Amino acid sequence: MLSYRSRLPRNNGSTGYLSLRCAFLGLLLPAFAAAQPPSVASINLCTDQLVLSIADPAQILSLSWLSADPEESMLASTAREFPLNYGSAEELIEIGADIVIAGSETSPFTRQLLRRLGSTVVEIEPAMSLDDIENNLRLVGGAIGRSAEAESVVASMRARVDAIRERRAEPARSAIVVRPGGFTIGRNTLAHELIELAGLDNRIAELDRWGSLSIEALLSHDPEIIVVMSYRTAEASLADSVFSHPALVSLAESSERIAVPARYFACGAPDSLTSAEVLLEQVAVR
Amino acid sequence: MSRKADQRSRVLVMALLVIGLILVLPLSLMIGRGSAGPTFGLGSSELAYTILGEIRLPRTLLGALVGGTLGLCGAGLQGLMRNPLAEPGILGVSSGAAFGAVIVFYFGLAASDSMLLAAGAVAGSMAALVILYGLAGRSVDLVRLILAGVGINALAAALTSLALNFAPSPYAALEILFWMFGSLADRSMAHVWLMLPLAVPGWLLVVAATRGLDALILGEDTATSLGFSVGRTLWLVIGGTALAVGASVAVSGVVAFVGLVVPHLLRPFVGYRPSRLLLPSFLAGALITLAADIAIRLMPPGPELKLGVVTALIGAPFFLHLILTSRGRLGT
Repeated sequence: MLSYRSRLPRNNGSTGYLSLRCAFLGLLLPAFAAAQPPSVASINLCTDQLVLSIADPAQILSLSWLSADPEESMLASTAREFPLNYGSAEELIEIGADIVIAGSETSPFTRQLLRRLGSTVVEIEPAMSLDDIENNLRLVGGAIGRSAEAESVVASMRARVDAIRERRAEPARSAIVVRPGGFTIGRNTLAHELIELAGLDNRIAELDRWGSLSIEALLSHDPEIIVVMSYRTAEASLADSVFSHPALVSLAESSERIAVPARYFACGAPDSLTSAEVLLEQVAVR
Repeated sequence: MSRKADQRSRVLVMALLVIGLILVLPLSLMIGRGSAGPTFGLGSSELAYTILGEIRLPRTLLGALVGGTLGLCGAGLQGLMRNPLAEPGILGVSSGAAFGAVIVFYFGLAASDSMLLAAGAVAGSMAALVILYGLAGRSVDLVRLILAGVGINALAAALTSLALNFAPSPYAALEILFWMFGSLADRSMAHVWLMLPLAVPGWLLVVAATRGLDALILGEDTATSLGFSVGRTLWLVIGGTALAVGASVAVSGVVAFVGLVVPHLLRPFVGYRPSRLLLPSFLAGALITLAADIAIRLMPPGPELKLGVVTALIGAPFFLHLILTSRGRLGT
């Protein structure tokens, strides 16, 4: 492992310079990856899953604590094998990974502080499509010297997508997605792409990304299938009471309800395709 | 209380506060969040130096500066309004600053550069000040001023909620919520250098109002007849608070109730004159905020509790107690 000396402050961090340096690292690292792959710490549930799917386990120094929670993570049992972090700069400096992988939407102060202290921080945008997942895999692969593995994971994802396309029902059946709290999914989201891939026609496609779904809207769309993203159903929450409204009794009788654990949709990772496979299975069974 | 006894009590309180800070400041440097344990001394390790100098030192300094700002401005505003329930939040300066920061965050400018976040916060506190000026004008009617503050607070809260609703990503909305609760986690020396140039002039403006605030105890008419401009005192305190609290919110988010609680804790010991209260309030605000932030770091492993949550848990019951006990006095 490199000495931590290399991570001590050497510059006061113009972001442009740093991101440029990240880009160069991404290009250069694979060249000497065979000699010594850089060590990695991930501080975000979604980047944890990208790292787990392509990194050599020996490279991984730490993953974020949420990854070990089976309600949140698709890879909880694997993630539990690794030391977990809570994403504080102090922990990460002590962990001393060569590369920190972070989500672009969380902990801006931590990312900024780590860069100031000379760490290489790679930011990954949340995936909004299957293409985004492929790009993110390549980004992480490039940063940690596992580009070849990233390409092979991308290839296996594409094979899974083709297999799903072959099996799905024609014509597409109408559906809406209900998340706890009455939220729903529109176009330009990964979940939209996944349910359409599974042979369902999202009735809420006119909505851009996310929105809340009133009971009236739910009734007016009259879908054949309601996909419920279930999340911690054993724990009390108002969010789970969407279907107890009296107005929904008739709809509940005329439509099918399919529950898919929300963790399948939470992150863009190779295993996101599991959600489409589960949906396909359920739709075919009925 | 005689003047001499009053003086002695004030010196004693100041000495205790300084001793408290001398004890708490190194403690704050020794205790880390999520690390193996307390770090005693620098040793020879560069790693320990980095953790102490670049992570815990800025956190400690910001705890003291933010807490001190809130204590000082709380004392200044309570003196100005002769209202025991006044605090920096009541004029809408904090919520205006937070809204400014949220807007910058919403447009995605601040993810990589918190300096812009700070600019937004200061602009927000300044905007709150301008609206306050528009609503209360040159009027020195203090009730009107407080009502204007209530209105600005409500407006800033509604606008912040609106920004949340339009946030392009639900993850960003989550980040904004965390930010609104106030936190000192993972701040760097850059945040200290960002805050100081704005906070110091703010403190000086509030301190410049000291004699006017003392005169205000006698009432607005008497103060005016004694040759103190009530309007000047008003805008010194409000302008200073806008600057200092805006800078604080920029680096720490909204840390509630420190400005309310601190002057009340001190009055029985230092007396009611703002000139006696301002400096001890600064020291006590720093002490309480640092203690709360150390308590957060000592909690069991897990995601870190927000500083604003802890201060509100302590401050809100105190606030309610204050309403109960001061009910008789408020209307007079």
